[in-house]
Amino acid sequence: MREILRQSNIDLLREINRLKSVVYSASVLPELVTYQAQILITCEMLRRQGQQNLRDLDLNRDELLPDILSETQRLASWFRLYNERFAGPILRSLPSDQLCLRIIAWLHDHHPETHRVPAALSDGGFGIWPEPQFPIVYIMPFSRQRGLLYLPLFFHEFGHLLYVCHEAKMDELVYELQKSIADLLESTPQQDDLSAQEGAKRRRAIAVTWYLWTQEIFCDAVGFAIGGPCFAYAFSMYLRTSGRDAFYLPRSQLEFSHHPVTWLRIHFLADQVRRAGWPKEAEKLENEWSKIAATMGVTEEYHGFYEDRFMPLIRKTIDDMLTVASPWEFLDEDVAPSEWDPQSSSPVHLLNTAWRMYLQDPASYDSWEEQAISAFLESHGK
Amino acid sequence: MSTDWLAVQSFQRTQELLTAINTLSIHTKLELAGIADDERAEAAAKAREKLALFLKAFDKIVREAEQTNGETLLGIDPRMEQLARKFVAARRDRARFHSPLFTQSLSEAANLLAPTEAKDRQALVEYLQDLRTLVEEHLHADIHQILHQF
Repeated sequence: MREILRQSNIDLLREINRLKSVVYSASVLPELVTYQAQILITCEMLRRQGQQNLRDLDLNRDELLPDILSETQRLASWFRLYNERFAGPILRSLPSDQLCLRIIAWLHDHHPETHRVPAALSDGGFGIWPEPQFPIVYIMPFSRQRGLLYLPLFFHEFGHLLYVCHEAKMDELVYELQKSIADLLESTPQQDDLSAQEGAKRRRAIAVTWYLWTQEIFCDAVGFAIGGPCFAYAFSMYLRTSGRDAFYLPRSQLEFSHHPVTWLRIHFLADQVRRAGWPKEAEKLENEWSKIAATMGVTEEYHGFYEDRFMPLIRKTIDDMLTVASPWEFLDEDVAPSEWDPQSSSPVHLLNTAWRMYLQDPASYDSWEEQAISAFLESHGK
Repeated sequence: MSTDWLAVQSFQRTQELLTAINTLSIHTKLELAGIADDERAEAAAKAREKLALFLKAFDKIVREAEQTNGETLLGIDPRMEQLARKFVAARRDRARFHSPLFTQSLSEAANLLAPTEAKDRQALVEYLQDLRTLVEEHLHADIHQILHQF
């Protein structure tokens, strides 16, 4: 066993050194330099762990072998994570990443919890790896990285990072909401012919499901708080063609699901838009989704996982969560129809302008966008 | 929009726990064998602190899991709840989990992380071994969600 472990640790050390060397030699954009340094520090930490395992093997104590095996396995999976996931954003780095990286850096710099926290970009479906102990990676589909219109969706992903930064308080607020929903359901006589036990089980499942649903609705609220209308446009446009399951899911798929049905998220988003002073935009947003639903013959039904009487409870919880997380909020000038100024306007103003330009005249949008991206990169590079 | 973030958080938490378990286990075994392990003493002290904090917080979740008779818990990350359920089941599985400390409450076990007597050190080693088995089995699901199986 000792020899097996020695071989494995020597092999891991060789691979760690190779990764370290490749990451070190990579020529990266200035926005990725801190992230690159973070990966190199971890590679060094992994290398030291491998050497410690070899020193522990040299003690020739059989009773330590299970511990050294576990440490070797831990090292191997840690290394895999860096080799397969976190090194990618450096080694795949392209000049075109600069647009996304500048937006992400601006986002991180405008919040005390994430100020100077390095982050990188990877390819794939929208997502984030938000554990502050790891390098932060934002994930976005290829073509969406190249334009302005879908960048506001990073603001939703940033919400997940804010949740983790304030996890204990957030969990407490979500727990209160879950209890309130459970109490509300408990106080209502059972409508269908479920046994008392089955009814209690179902009520519990609904309350539990709201743990993850609340986090998603909170992230949508963070997205709107930061981006304003551009977030609502991006969110709706990106998701409204994703298919029937954006509008309806059977009860069995709703139970313990990770995301609420998107149509429900649209209602919460519209509620936020309305409360921010844009009733017409909120109505338009909901109407568009209703039209698509009607075309598919879908009737709104959440099988008890959402009822209108939940709305005030959820709204209050989300408002409290926003107070705790305190994201940067868009300013009047960020949503004003005034021309975006590369020297003085925020990126949020740029993204709102992009949506206004696109909705006004999609045909001439691409040439405007190209110039706007150049101006943005030039001004934010100084 | 991806849900990998749940697995990433769970992976990180479990890895930290595993490091603490292994560090303290090696240190305690070397103490039992009368071998000086000064180099790891500070890391072992930190591991003890980390485990004590974890066990006390986890105790609350495990108690709730025992009381709710299989019902899902409110206000808790689903992966953490799954670990608590596995712990409750493991305590009943005497064929696989032998450590006498495993049957005690987690807060009682947390008080035994700094033993001075040889028999207590041996008990701690056995406890850490059982805890490691449980944590490693739990980690498996996160690894396979984040990283692809070969």
